[in-house]
Amino acid sequence: MKKYTLRTCLAVSILFLLFNCFSFAQEDNTLAGISNKVIESVDPVELSAAFEQIKELYFKDNRYIEMPEFIKSLGQKKKGLEAYVSYYTALSVFKHLKYLEETQKWDEYFSDGDNYRDQIDEELNKVMQVTSPKELLNIQSQLLLYEFHKGDQDRVTDQTLSDLVKSVTEYAQSTNDYKIIKDIADKLVGLGEKNKSKELYRIYINKITDSDIKDEELTGIAKEFFADGNLELSEAVYDKYIERIEKTLPKEELVSILIKIVKIFAYKDEGYKDSVYAEKTFKKIEEYGGKDIFDEELLYMRAFNLEKSREYKDAVNVYGELVERFPESPRIDQSLYKIGMLSAYGNRDIDKAREYFEKLASKDIVNPWIVSGLYQLGLLSQWQENTAKAKEYYDKLLEKAKYGFVEMAELAKGRLAEIDDVKPLDYNLKTFIDLSLKNENANFNMSKSELKSSLYSPKKEQELNVSSAAYLAESGCMQAAVQYLWSGNTGKKKPTIEEPGFTTSYAEEGTKEINLVIVASSGILDRNFDLVDAE
Amino acid sequence: MKKSLLILFVLFISFILMGSAKKPKPGIFIKHLKNGHFQLIVNKKPYVVKGVCYNPIPIGKNHEYDWWSDPAKPWIADGKLMQEMGINTVRFYNPGPNPETVRQVIRDLYNMYGIRTIMGHWLGFWEFPCPLYGDKPFQDKIRKEVIEMVALYKDEPGILFWTLGNENNYSCLGQVHPWSNDEIDKEPDLQKQRAMRGRIYYSFVNDIAKEIHKIDYNHPVALGNGELIGLEWAKEASTDIDLVACIIYRGKTFGNLFKSLKATFDVPIVLSEAGADAYDAFLKKEDQNMQAFFLEAQWRQIYDNLANNKEGEGNCLGGIIFEWSDEWWKHNDPDAQGWLVHDTESNWTNGSYYFDIKAPGNMNMNEEWFGLVALSADEKEAGIEKRILRKSYYVLREFWKDPVKAEKKAKEAANLKRNKTNKKK
Repeated sequence: MKKYTLRTCLAVSILFLLFNCFSFAQEDNTLAGISNKVIESVDPVELSAAFEQIKELYFKDNRYIEMPEFIKSLGQKKKGLEAYVSYYTALSVFKHLKYLEETQKWDEYFSDGDNYRDQIDEELNKVMQVTSPKELLNIQSQLLLYEFHKGDQDRVTDQTLSDLVKSVTEYAQSTNDYKIIKDIADKLVGLGEKNKSKELYRIYINKITDSDIKDEELTGIAKEFFADGNLELSEAVYDKYIERIEKTLPKEELVSILIKIVKIFAYKDEGYKDSVYAEKTFKKIEEYGGKDIFDEELLYMRAFNLEKSREYKDAVNVYGELVERFPESPRIDQSLYKIGMLSAYGNRDIDKAREYFEKLASKDIVNPWIVSGLYQLGLLSQWQENTAKAKEYYDKLLEKAKYGFVEMAELAKGRLAEIDDVKPLDYNLKTFIDLSLKNENANFNMSKSELKSSLYSPKKEQELNVSSAAYLAESGCMQAAVQYLWSGNTGKKKPTIEEPGFTTSYAEEGTKEINLVIVASSGILDRNFDLVDAE
Repeated sequence: MKKSLLILFVLFISFILMGSAKKPKPGIFIKHLKNGHFQLIVNKKPYVVKGVCYNPIPIGKNHEYDWWSDPAKPWIADGKLMQEMGINTVRFYNPGPNPETVRQVIRDLYNMYGIRTIMGHWLGFWEFPCPLYGDKPFQDKIRKEVIEMVALYKDEPGILFWTLGNENNYSCLGQVHPWSNDEIDKEPDLQKQRAMRGRIYYSFVNDIAKEIHKIDYNHPVALGNGELIGLEWAKEASTDIDLVACIIYRGKTFGNLFKSLKATFDVPIVLSEAGADAYDAFLKKEDQNMQAFFLEAQWRQIYDNLANNKEGEGNCLGGIIFEWSDEWWKHNDPDAQGWLVHDTESNWTNGSYYFDIKAPGNMNMNEEWFGLVALSADEKEAGIEKRILRKSYYVLREFWKDPVKAEKKAKEAANLKRNKTNKKK
């Protein structure tokens, strides 16, 4: 048995050795093949590809420190490879330093680090000496030099960055290879250099738009940027595209394309959006198509987009336009209700709010917005201490809500109980309305807090996360104690004063208001509100 | 008669000599240079504070643990590592309960490694329910404690200076540990309330500083402060303090800190807490590079603003890194089980530490991961948890060895590059 085991072990070891020998031999063959390519090639593209292959081979096993020896041997075999040898030597030493960092081999990192750094600097400077910014290797070396100095946080970092941008600008004039410009810009974004990357992106965009690129390709590029989350760049390409079609297309066609673009950027729960860019495009649509070009859907989209970017005055105007032009719209009551809510708690205009809630209350039909409008009328009356009038509204609400609308009915019953028991309005709610509507509280203008929901158009029973942030005065590394006074319709979750956010869901359709007052130890910090449309 | 005249003459001369003799310079003092810069002088030589906050709480204990009396004497092993790194100062927030062991720690660090001590006092900041700086009995109690502390340790050769308070000024803003008194309560304007609290607090600190100077001529007194907040009140009320010791967490750059200080309250500064944690709350893993990146950047600026450096304001005397070793109790102090766990949950947020600011709720600061050294949960050395040196330890060791060389080298590289770049153009 023992003998058998020993034999097995021996056999496995031999196999292992053979496998290793085979691997080494295979790698030697590959390297020999690449060496031949390097020696024989005269085309810079082929040469670059061969060096990239060598790089892949060594880098995949973190053998950074071994590569320079091999590529130097190539340099000895063929003249004119100095720039490649220097660049790839610098790259491998740079990678080795990074590898030491990642694996926390601090002893080698700190004992030999300076020598490695000198070597990187020296080799890259050699590349600069023998190449010009019209050559890719020069650009790559400058990029590496910048990355290296940035990692070292030394004083040449800024200089190397502006040199790089300058050289890429020069390189762009002599090449049709635009992609490299974008690649470097992407790399700069990754290194946290957003501003400089913008310069390169602009060059890239100008290059492609000045070329004979077709409109479809241009919009394709814009869509790609959008899909990558690079909205700024996507918008820049769309701007160029719009500039083009403004000159060439008839108005109708132009407007139809602008509508397609606005739909990409307008507010929606899922995916990327940019409400500001969307509104800019809405304005263009209005400029070319007039107000009449906006159908019901487009008007609602614009109003909703403005509401979500907290431009309440403009949102109220657009909802108003929708109400005026499309009185038969299925969105009509929702729009009336939103005008009321945004007027009251966004624009501090209680009279306008009442006017619109009354419009809803006067309707004979029943829907979530009419019921909510009655609640708001009751609430405002109760807050103004006209309890008889408030009771009237709440009773009317309960009458209308007898075939459903449980959430609103519960809220109204709670208010009625306060009136019947001669109790004050719920503290959280009263504080919120005081801060929202009393003139002396105009400084509580939602600038010191943030309130948002993960979804604004959830389905019934769909979970959504409501979160808030308070912008407090400095308190160092001690977190200041803050209380959160939640009110309104928070769905199935009733958050406590300690919770800055919560997860909830709504059982019924309608526009739900979430109110918040944030209290710090020094007093009230701010108030905020948000609207969620459960569908 | 002649004899009497002679005695009178001798007395007269002695009186003249005594009157004209200058008071000797204190052992440690701050020199205001002709160019307006400040320099800390220790034994007649300029001294740059290369400090570290030291609170070696072992795994499984919390802040109540009296490490000063630990028989394993952690400061002996730590002091050696500190000395090798180049640290010359430790900062204690408050002395331990037993004066004998406190003296021993100060002496051991100084005698064995030449490391000096900045001794602090909380000034009752953690008193329950709040520090009543507006109340005379509270003030008297704290004043007595501080004076006793100074009397106990002022003759220790290792003492560098005293620091009064830490981030106590935030209580004047009312956000943390808010306090008040009848007079403040009568004032309806919140801004005026803050100013009233500020004046009370900084006058109180100044009174203590004055009393310290009466009994201890040899050591400066620092006003501990969170950021520069409230120093506009200190300028009026704290004229007897020698320097400010500010806690600054601004990430990579201190921005206009030194210039602002010069404009609002022209006194020297020691950054009494600065640094970065070594945990990426976004990627949820230790990140030593991130910590080293911030620390190196901060120390470059500290050196830029030392005396006689043309590029800075010349009002910085040095800095103190927060902190020497990780403290595993900090995340959730009431939970004793948590003291055995190296928590990765964050307690506070700071956008200046931008690498991990995208962590949920922007909570990116990991209080248990600020150490230059990590503690090993598995291995012990010399009776204490083995110290695992983080990258920052090495980075600052190299920087302190020759900060001038590092800067010079960078400049040379810049010049070389400018001369060589793109010759082929």
